[in-house]
Amino acid sequence: MMDRYSQLGTASALAAWRDAGLPVDAAGDQRDGGVSWGTSLGGTQTFEDGYRNIYLQRPPGRISPLGVIMGMNNACASHIAMQLGLAGPCHTFSVACSSSTVAIGEGFRRVRSGECSVVVAGGSDATLSYGVLRAWQAMRVLADGNEETAAHACRPFHRQRQGLVLGEGGGAFILEDWDRAVARGARIYAELASFGATCDHSHLVRPNLDGQVRAMRIALADADLAPAQIGYVNAHGTATREGDPIEIAAIREVFGDHAEALPVSATKSMHGHMLGATGVIESIATILSLYHQAIPPTAHLDDIDPACAGVRHVVGGPLRDVPLEAALCNSFAFGGSNAVLAFRRQRQP
Amino acid sequence: MSETDTLALLREFLKKHSDQDSALVTLESPLSSVNIDSLMLLELIFEFEEKFGISVPNDFPTPDTVGELVGAVDALRARNTGAAN
Repeated sequence: MMDRYSQLGTASALAAWRDAGLPVDAAGDQRDGGVSWGTSLGGTQTFEDGYRNIYLQRPPGRISPLGVIMGMNNACASHIAMQLGLAGPCHTFSVACSSSTVAIGEGFRRVRSGECSVVVAGGSDATLSYGVLRAWQAMRVLADGNEETAAHACRPFHRQRQGLVLGEGGGAFILEDWDRAVARGARIYAELASFGATCDHSHLVRPNLDGQVRAMRIALADADLAPAQIGYVNAHGTATREGDPIEIAAIREVFGDHAEALPVSATKSMHGHMLGATGVIESIATILSLYHQAIPPTAHLDDIDPACAGVRHVVGGPLRDVPLEAALCNSFAFGGSNAVLAFRRQRQP
Repeated sequence: MSETDTLALLREFLKKHSDQDSALVTLESPLSSVNIDSLMLLELIFEFEEKFGISVPNDFPTPDTVGELVGAVDALRARNTGAAN
């Protein structure tokens, strides 16, 4: 009995847990195991079904008695805790497009402080309800597409970019105390090194250079990383007219002389914008870059907007065999909430 | 169907949605000076679409002044009338 967003999230959490080599034990009672989840819209499809039943049906239809518990924004996190027997803090963060990035960052802090030895962190969203789509369309930030152009509709940093493409998804990290992970011989994809969070406090949708710069600088400082040590930035890059140039300007400000040589890509060009799930999917792309020493491109970027120039855009195909030691993943939400994660290449003994 | 209708609707909108003294709004006023930012503009375009039965295309160029906005909306209204005839 789950909304689609919970199905996507729980499936991703179980997959990550198994991939980490941990036993699935719903009867367990792990007191220092937590869940830190992100969602922007939660059970929006459940609510839409309810509205349809009562407003459009004549006579009005019934509302499912499970509507409340399917629709609530923390349902997914609790399903994950129940499936995995996690008895510690179980929290949900709703920070628009930064939701799962914030959830990972806050989960990271619980592990680093010693409060939790393991946290399932990530996010999920099922955005494709009719009302949600129409609202985004009314805001005029969705890319147009027809049968021919839909596959390359989302073109971050492109001169002709039109906006974003909404998607649905879920993704999860298993954040584990380093010594515990090493002791049990876990496969470690990367070290989560820091989390930087700021608010623009200026406008609900117009991004602010200073807020983004501060978030990246906090992440670098907290991880004790110099700008030149960063070998890749997974950009927020939604392909809106206004957002992309500001992010590139912020990256140039933070990285200075290093920016020109710094590989940057926006993987939203391939997976779309999954709102609350997008930060974790992009973080997965970032840690797999470190793990495989290969950087994914911004797809469809065959004409870089001069307003977005000044970094090393990864175009055409992936960069392979790059000596990559550390990377950033940016999420900049409506509401002005900026979240940046820094990852280091794993140094497993 | 005159330019005045469009400007009047804009003034009415500002009265409802901001503290802006709508009497001070002229065709020369920059939109930013009368409290119309990108979000307000979306809402205002929505209002024009509702009231005038027009459809503002996605590639509608972002106007800088009240006059540019009113002119662009009037052009769409005129096109609509032409189509109806």
